[in-house]
Amino acid sequence: MKNDSKNKSQLNNNQNAKVGEKNSPTILHFFRKKWFDSWQGNPPGSGLLLLGMIVAAIMSIPIIYVVWRSLFAGVDRWKRLLDGRIPELLWNTFSLTFAVTACAVIIGVTLAWIVVRTDLPGRKYWQWLLALPLVIPPYVGAVTYIIVFGPSGWVRNIWRDTPWLVDTFGNYPLNIYSFWGVFFVLTMFTYPYVYLIASASLRKMNRNFEEVARSQGMTTSQIFWKVNLPFLRPAIGAGAILISLYVLSDFGAIAMLRYVTFTAAIYFQRAGFDTASASVLSLVLIILTVGILWIEARTRKKNKYYQTSNTFREPDILKLGKWKPWAILYVVGVFFVSVVLPISVLVYWSNIGIRMGALDERFFSFAWNSLKVSGLAAILCMLLALPIIYLKTRYPSTITTIIDKLCYAGYALPGVIVALGFVFIFNNHIPALYSTFYMVALAFVVRFLPQAMQAGEASLSLVSPRIDEAARSLGYPPWKIMFKVILPTILPGVLAGGALVFVSSIKELPATLMLRPPGFDTLAVRVYFEASEAIYHLAAPAALLLVIVSIIPLRYLLKKY
Amino acid sequence: MNKTLKAILFAILALGLVFAAGCGNNEDENTAEPDPSEVGSGQDEQQTDEEVVELDGEIVVYSARNERFVQALLDKFTADTGIEVQALHDANPLQVVEEANNVRADVFISNDLGALGYLHMEGLLQGYDFDGIDSIPADFRADDNAYFAISARSRGFIYNKDMITEDEMPKSIEELFDPKWADVEGGYAITRGGNGGMIGHISALRYEWGDEKTAEWIEVVSENAAAITQGHGDIRRAVGAGEHSFGLVNNYYFHQQLVEPDNNNVGFIYLDQEADQMGVVANAAGAGLVKDGPNQENAIAFIEWLLLPENQVMFVGESLELLINSDYGASYPAEVEPHIVDFNDLKVQDMPIKELGNYFQDTRALIEQSGLDLELR
Repeated sequence: MKNDSKNKSQLNNNQNAKVGEKNSPTILHFFRKKWFDSWQGNPPGSGLLLLGMIVAAIMSIPIIYVVWRSLFAGVDRWKRLLDGRIPELLWNTFSLTFAVTACAVIIGVTLAWIVVRTDLPGRKYWQWLLALPLVIPPYVGAVTYIIVFGPSGWVRNIWRDTPWLVDTFGNYPLNIYSFWGVFFVLTMFTYPYVYLIASASLRKMNRNFEEVARSQGMTTSQIFWKVNLPFLRPAIGAGAILISLYVLSDFGAIAMLRYVTFTAAIYFQRAGFDTASASVLSLVLIILTVGILWIEARTRKKNKYYQTSNTFREPDILKLGKWKPWAILYVVGVFFVSVVLPISVLVYWSNIGIRMGALDERFFSFAWNSLKVSGLAAILCMLLALPIIYLKTRYPSTITTIIDKLCYAGYALPGVIVALGFVFIFNNHIPALYSTFYMVALAFVVRFLPQAMQAGEASLSLVSPRIDEAARSLGYPPWKIMFKVILPTILPGVLAGGALVFVSSIKELPATLMLRPPGFDTLAVRVYFEASEAIYHLAAPAALLLVIVSIIPLRYLLKKY
Repeated sequence: MNKTLKAILFAILALGLVFAAGCGNNEDENTAEPDPSEVGSGQDEQQTDEEVVELDGEIVVYSARNERFVQALLDKFTADTGIEVQALHDANPLQVVEEANNVRADVFISNDLGALGYLHMEGLLQGYDFDGIDSIPADFRADDNAYFAISARSRGFIYNKDMITEDEMPKSIEELFDPKWADVEGGYAITRGGNGGMIGHISALRYEWGDEKTAEWIEVVSENAAAITQGHGDIRRAVGAGEHSFGLVNNYYFHQQLVEPDNNNVGFIYLDQEADQMGVVANAAGAGLVKDGPNQENAIAFIEWLLLPENQVMFVGESLELLINSDYGASYPAEVEPHIVDFNDLKVQDMPIKELGNYFQDTRALIEQSGLDLELR
């Protein structure tokens, strides 16, 4: 990339010099030809390219900085961490990631199959009801589960007051502060990722394949294993990646349930200001994340599934028969545990809180802070995403691919690592912005820009480049095309991306915790603090508000899959 | 199409401007403050008068104490003086170290005098001859008054009277070497090694026992504890609710649990009170003046305000700690009053509280070696 930018400057010099100098050195011609070749004869304007490169740099610098710092942590520290801490953290993190991913995939796929392919009563409604856990941030979910199942929770009280339970099973046996507690909570709030993707591909599945299988004498269950499941593999893979990346990056739910993974350890190291150790652990976590992404890319390349679209027929609906009660029980059970229970706990405590005056001036100042910082992040993301997606779709080349990939760096990696990089950079090099809320908003941009990019890209790919060319031929300069032609047509997509960024930002916890300036608490931070002090009547209204706000982009998400 | 586009673009621009303006105001307050404050808060007032009439500048307070104890005090300060307080709760003293070249805080409030001592040792706090500093005994403030303590606490066991009697309870911190305490009903609870109270306690043990025995103690305790929590609040609630028989906390957490409407049948053991024992481990909460803070005039005003007797009482506030100046008449709820043990009636470990700062760094290293800093259960 460095080379290329050098080429570019040489190219520019060349152009400027052309007026006076006829015979420029051959070497410049050579570079110029290379440069054009790499863009397939259509290089973007230097302003646009520069903008894209700046954005990509902003996106990736924090992470590069963390890696850089970790390399200077000293041999001693590396040794000590590798000997003692890292193996344990690896085991904690891996076992949790694996268990949650496996279980969420099973729940997601079975639910998708039941809802899409069987005659479950009310399946139209279940289709979106079962995606609802997406709107509950897992740390909020964890709070509600602690209230219900915790060692002083409602279930424990019922248990204690029911003599036959105590007599037959002894004391209250559930311990939510354990591996299984974390596992359960994370599974319940992440399965919708697989569910949504799997139902989309089930809906697209061609009936012909199944009928061939059936004509060969296969039973329904055989068809599921031999025909349906292989077709679902890409969907399952994509969902599993999303979930495992989520588990790797989650801080709130894991810390509240007193479990320690890499992300939590980095946060605690950072909270203890052992930044060198924090960056060492971050490097390991980065390697883990990249490893997962690599596995995903490999499996996707290896397996190709083709469906013929010209003979597409809607899949038929299977009769549940005697399985009907069980299927209903299963679906209702999952829905109850992952949506009804948490929401009713929140409503119960919000009700108490509001009557005790939780919605005071402080609450609204926290809400305003949340709104301000998330809104700024959303606007910035919408603006910054434009040059990137325009470059990517209109000028495909190695350089744009690199720019595009760099923008995903902060998205794939946990928020604590991004925040760590921000603290390093701003405290040491940009003190004017350090401990202001701009820093928090910028961290959100680094974390969530790809959400805005994906949404905008989807819209832009529907606009033919011929439209640009037509505008060009009528004498518009490129920037004018951007604003007068392209932007109006893709605006809905861009705005949807902005909404996604807004909601993700407002729910974000670890980076906000690490970067918030004095006197600037957001709703998410308040939920975390009040809940860890067991002041549920103050935590619940804020949490409920976060859930309600999260419903906004759900419609868009459901349509996307 | 053109018109709608223009309208939308205009709306976005307008929104952006509103944001920029809204934030810009805050920004001005944050960054423009340091210069006038050097000249004096009087001129400062005139300069900002045009924007907001009541504003008398601001002050940035980092607090390591529980937010519930501090926020009311800060609100009272704003009400009394008109100075806005920007508070960062749950702050770590090392954040001040990290920001040494880019100082943000004016005052650091801590529940561990060791942390303040450490900051002073690193040259990050600044001495000043505050009005009213004489009310604090010399043992409880730095020689140049850069930091001082207002309230004291001692470490001990809170226990659930329904699960264990006073006679059955361990009376010395040393008894925790015995693995049998893991087998009492529900076991016992401690805090994470990153907790300020725990750091102070382990410093005191190192002073008494040396590093080797202390490391062993940490290992045994983190092995046997039934729960390891982030804070003491979790422990008092859990012991009160009967999840654990007892837990290692500061004495005022016992006071807090007594005020709870239910689950309040708890007792407290002041440790190591026999003649041949080390005495109870004490610590203190207080405040320090950060060197070169952006609003130093206001910070000095804050500390002098804090030293007023009524505000020293307020500092204790909901925490129900013991005021060092007990004659200022901190009042305790009726449930707590009979259980207050005056600091002078206790056998206190002979390590001077001010010494804690010298132990801070090595104690943290010891805790990290043991892994207790990251353990949660």
